[in-house]
Amino acid sequence: MTWLPFLIIIPLFGAFSMPIVSLIGGKAKEAWATIVSFATLIVGIDVFREVWNGGTIVYTLGAKNPFGKATFPIRIVWEVDKFGAIMVLIVTFVSFLAIIYSIEYMKHDTGLEKFYTLILILELGMLGIAITGDIFNFYVFLEIMSIASYALVAFRNDTWEGIEAGIKYMFVGSLASSFILLGITLLYGQYGTLTMGYLAVKMSENPTIVAKIALALFLGGLLFKSGASPVHMWLADAHPAAPSSISAMLSGLVIKIGGIYAMARVVFSIFSPAVNLTTVGWIIILFACITLIVGNAMAVVQEDMKRLLAYSSVGQIGYILLGLGIGMVAYGTKIGEVALAGAIYHTVNHAIMKALLFLVAGAVIHELGTRNLNELSGLAKTMPKTSFAFLVGAAAIVGMPPLNGFASKWLIYESSALFNPIIGAIAIIGTAFCTAAYVRVLFTFFGRPSEKVMNAKDPGIAMLLPMFILVLAIVVMGFFPWQISDKFMVPAARALWDVMGYIASLMGGG
Amino acid sequence: MKRALGFLSLLVIFAGLMLALTPKYGIKFGFGGDDWLKYRYTDNYYIQHGVEEVGGNNIVTDIVFDYRGYDTLGEATVLFTAIAGAIALLRPWRREKNEG
Repeated sequence: MTWLPFLIIIPLFGAFSMPIVSLIGGKAKEAWATIVSFATLIVGIDVFREVWNGGTIVYTLGAKNPFGKATFPIRIVWEVDKFGAIMVLIVTFVSFLAIIYSIEYMKHDTGLEKFYTLILILELGMLGIAITGDIFNFYVFLEIMSIASYALVAFRNDTWEGIEAGIKYMFVGSLASSFILLGITLLYGQYGTLTMGYLAVKMSENPTIVAKIALALFLGGLLFKSGASPVHMWLADAHPAAPSSISAMLSGLVIKIGGIYAMARVVFSIFSPAVNLTTVGWIIILFACITLIVGNAMAVVQEDMKRLLAYSSVGQIGYILLGLGIGMVAYGTKIGEVALAGAIYHTVNHAIMKALLFLVAGAVIHELGTRNLNELSGLAKTMPKTSFAFLVGAAAIVGMPPLNGFASKWLIYESSALFNPIIGAIAIIGTAFCTAAYVRVLFTFFGRPSEKVMNAKDPGIAMLLPMFILVLAIVVMGFFPWQISDKFMVPAARALWDVMGYIASLMGGG
Repeated sequence: MKRALGFLSLLVIFAGLMLALTPKYGIKFGFGGDDWLKYRYTDNYYIQHGVEEVGGNNIVTDIVFDYRGYDTLGEATVLFTAIAGAIALLRPWRREKNEG
């Protein structure tokens, strides 16, 4: 008996019942969203524990095993390996905190029952992507996640930037999704199955040009979804325009699940037996290097606080892609393992710290009504708790040693320097820009108080609590960097590499 | 310049897709005989066992509501999300305090 189905059932039930629950009125919708996301968090923790103790879970929908009377899978399967379990845990955790934060942050907005419905669906879509073992099902949940995030970006429909960013995001996002659908179509036409593990089997028997074209389409779509550099422009508009709790989820989770996780899953679990991983890896490294430099450099020149954080997200995605790319080129070596473990570790860390930073930005906007950095001077005087949380988040994202960002960045630096010193140097340059950007913000925060900030005060408990849970997570994870890396991230990286194990647990029937 | 590059890359993508759809190199069309079992084994299974396993005479509904019912649930969720999103975005604007 596994708890895995409840990971979908609970948020789905929560979202579909939200219009009815909100008829009660009062605070019922907030309470319901909190309860639902808390229950999802509990299930997420249990699924994580289950995968960690018992290995990969394979779950067939509608039957005991995916085969029926055949020798190939005919039903949709869920397959949660260690990497998937880490993503499930981080998605449920950050979503829960974002929902608690929204209770106070969104109280001046209207249409809140729609807001909580959409935020639960966003969580549902991300969980569906993390657990699925079926390529078309992956597309369906990618669409659920994307459509919910288009609507949430434009949620404040009375602001021009919300609508503008939403339209931009929707037009280009749908194009990227259709690339992915086209790739799936080609794969089905050539190989006749939609199950990821079995697709890997068929593809290794008969690698064709169709598979390569499909991979190119997948990579194009997924690099877009992760906000890699030539196609990061939607991110820099969408993340600032969204309500801050949504920015925290978009920046912390959506670009990781829909981009990084999906890319790792597609490349390693489907294509790695059939295509040359070195080529794919170098393509990803190329984009990673551009992303690193462009994202971090653009962060330095921003005047808008949330836009700065959005560009910084682009820059951090560059590190994760770099680790992923090196993990592909150096497949089967120690360097590749360290790089991939670093990429997974940084995915988790960045989700936590960027969620924290966006929640802080939201608190500042909520209190002051501006996000122009030039007007925020001296905020530390009047909003000490918020500024402290920002200080911790900024130090972590730059990679200061006592905090969690250090270990994950160190793994990526170490592996990239060993892999190729030029790439290591590019990674260091990216960090230099990143440091410059955050030091600039900190100087503003701790400067002389301007007139505008004199009347500000710290937000209430519902906004401070999620921020301080994230601060606590950053600090506690910072105490045990190498233990976390050895116990969780390296096994997850190995599980991702172990495509034979992935196929075997599928064909074993689970 | 950007536009020209865009058209150029569209051409490349189009050429790639055409290559993938050329029967000599890529996907074949109109499967029959051995090719049917080689490339469409899953479909063949649904056609042969659909009626006895699921009980419906319509294979398409057998697939979308039983074998792949989870995808249909997902599609229903997409529709629900789209409606929730549309009515969320088409709601009236927030009033200023002095107006309301």
